[in-house]
Amino acid sequence: MKQARRWLLLAAALTLLAQPAYAQKKKPKGGTKGAAPAPEAAPPAPAGAAPVPVDADADQPAGAPPPPAGADTGAAAGTGVGDTGAAGGEAVGGMDVCQITPDAPQCQAAKEFNLANEAKKPVHAEIYAVQQQYVIKSGRIELMPYFAFTMNDQFVSHNAPGIALNYYITQVLAVGLNGNWYQGLNADSDFNFQNRRSARIAAPLNEYQFSGDLNFTYVPMYGKFAGFGDFIFHYDAFLEGGVGVIRTRPIPVIDPDNRKFADWNTLVNFDVGIGLRIFFNRWLAAVVEVRDIMYFEKIEALTISPRPLDQASWYDKDTHFTNDVQLQVGLSLFLPTSFDYRLPK
Amino acid sequence: MKRRFVTAVLASVAIATVLSAAGPARAQEIQLTGPLKGAPAVRELRLYRQGRFEIAPAISFTLLDEYRRTILVGARLNYNIRDWIAIGVWGAAGAISTTTDLTDRIDSLPAPRDPLTAVNVNHSTDPSGGFRPFANQAAKISYVVAPQLTFIPFRGKLAIFNKIFVDTDLYLAGGVAFVGIKERGDCGGQGQIACSNPNSFDLTSKSKIAPTFGVGLTFYPSSFVSFGVEYRGLPFSWNRAGFDSRGSGPNGNFPDNQVNSTDESFKFNQLVTVDLGFSFPTTPKISE
Repeated sequence: MKQARRWLLLAAALTLLAQPAYAQKKKPKGGTKGAAPAPEAAPPAPAGAAPVPVDADADQPAGAPPPPAGADTGAAAGTGVGDTGAAGGEAVGGMDVCQITPDAPQCQAAKEFNLANEAKKPVHAEIYAVQQQYVIKSGRIELMPYFAFTMNDQFVSHNAPGIALNYYITQVLAVGLNGNWYQGLNADSDFNFQNRRSARIAAPLNEYQFSGDLNFTYVPMYGKFAGFGDFIFHYDAFLEGGVGVIRTRPIPVIDPDNRKFADWNTLVNFDVGIGLRIFFNRWLAAVVEVRDIMYFEKIEALTISPRPLDQASWYDKDTHFTNDVQLQVGLSLFLPTSFDYRLPK
Repeated sequence: MKRRFVTAVLASVAIATVLSAAGPARAQEIQLTGPLKGAPAVRELRLYRQGRFEIAPAISFTLLDEYRRTILVGARLNYNIRDWIAIGVWGAAGAISTTTDLTDRIDSLPAPRDPLTAVNVNHSTDPSGGFRPFANQAAKISYVVAPQLTFIPFRGKLAIFNKIFVDTDLYLAGGVAFVGIKERGDCGGQGQIACSNPNSFDLTSKSKIAPTFGVGLTFYPSSFVSFGVEYRGLPFSWNRAGFDSRGSGPNGNFPDNQVNSTDESFKFNQLVTVDLGFSFPTTPKISE
């Protein structure tokens, strides 16, 4: 018998919770200005008292007395939050539905959410084309290992593994660092040799050691694709730009017998890029990006000085604006791997 | 005896439970019930392709050229059998051809040119007294005709700045390309003119057959008009500079004073294409 009382008390408390706060209907003009705020805890109902049923979606519950002026619904129980009423579940013949089926969604929702807190959140009345983006990036860290392939240098390929670390300040803006390691992977094309042998013309060549940049990333585009008309995956496109350094040195081809470029030159670079991120889930994505690293290159002098061992004569006196266009292919990992939406769906 | 029997039965049940539980957990089918059961991923999809002809004037730009860049002007003609597959042809002609910096540098060689290069670079002078340009012997693409199949696995939409929305699809195209090129003619062989002869540097027309494949995005700002961007590979061997590079020596890697097919080298030719498409009938079907 004592058990039954406890269950009835619990049921009564549940019915008094302001469950539909996150799915409320639009208030009629002046409808709720005088409504009382939600209490922290519902007062216990007297034993044996039947809960007052209020339908969350109904302006006025069936069978309930008309609400007093200043409150739309739920005023009968005296615990309404604005016009949301105090429903914990629908009534079936005077019996709370949560008593019959405690697993009903509205009963579960009442347990999962602190409805008083939910009600305090600001609600943006604007309707977005996509209400919830698949991945929330704001406040998360993105770790992006990738491999970069040279796209525009037919003389020497500068392929490199790289890694990027970005922090998303907002959903569309991130700041981060990235670095590429080229040394050991610079490949002089056979075409250079053929050209030198056939035309007696040498194109000055350079190799890279590493590059590192501070970048800002902006994500203006996102969308979704239906794959094979069967499954849906999400993607976004981003623009990035930044500044950093790149270390390069010439590969001696004009006077290789005398010139040995042992030291790397540290040069300032600017980089811009555009990329596409295809999400496998909410924390893992494939990334394809085209990035242009721009800097002023120091190249080998095309003429040989009368004093060929004079290192000052090894470099061309002018620097040359150089674009190193890369195709980067990699993975994007967002940490932490889980997140909560600000509002329920 | 009874205890061993019970133990054996319990162990069997435990193993059977583990096996039966572990099996379906990694391969089970999601049992959808309710109104979404069997429903397509997208309802009322605008079928921009299915049953429509598409003509798309296009401009293609070659990438990573060593001696000469080419801009090709052409069009793609497709019949979209379904929304995910199309059959068609892409054709383009080399409209503009420009030299690279390397070609300009070879042309700027001070006189006299190295006699060792007489086979590779024209040493004759034109009426103005200068050397005949090296650019004249650099090979170029004249035309490409590529019957192809286009496979469209992905279809979706793109939001830009949360304001502009455009339907998009991603496609893969593959086919066989018939490529017309202009390349330095054969010389130095039996019955052929010597490769140091100024006339040997003239370009002659040749044709190549090569595989071609591409990946592209098509955007549909309206039912009738689309635009797209495509990356295409067109690999084949050709002698871009007209040099005598191979033909003698132990591995054939040394010059032999002849220019012929052995001097061709493999090149993964790459192009980027932008196009503007028009589809007929002008109104697409809508899926269920």
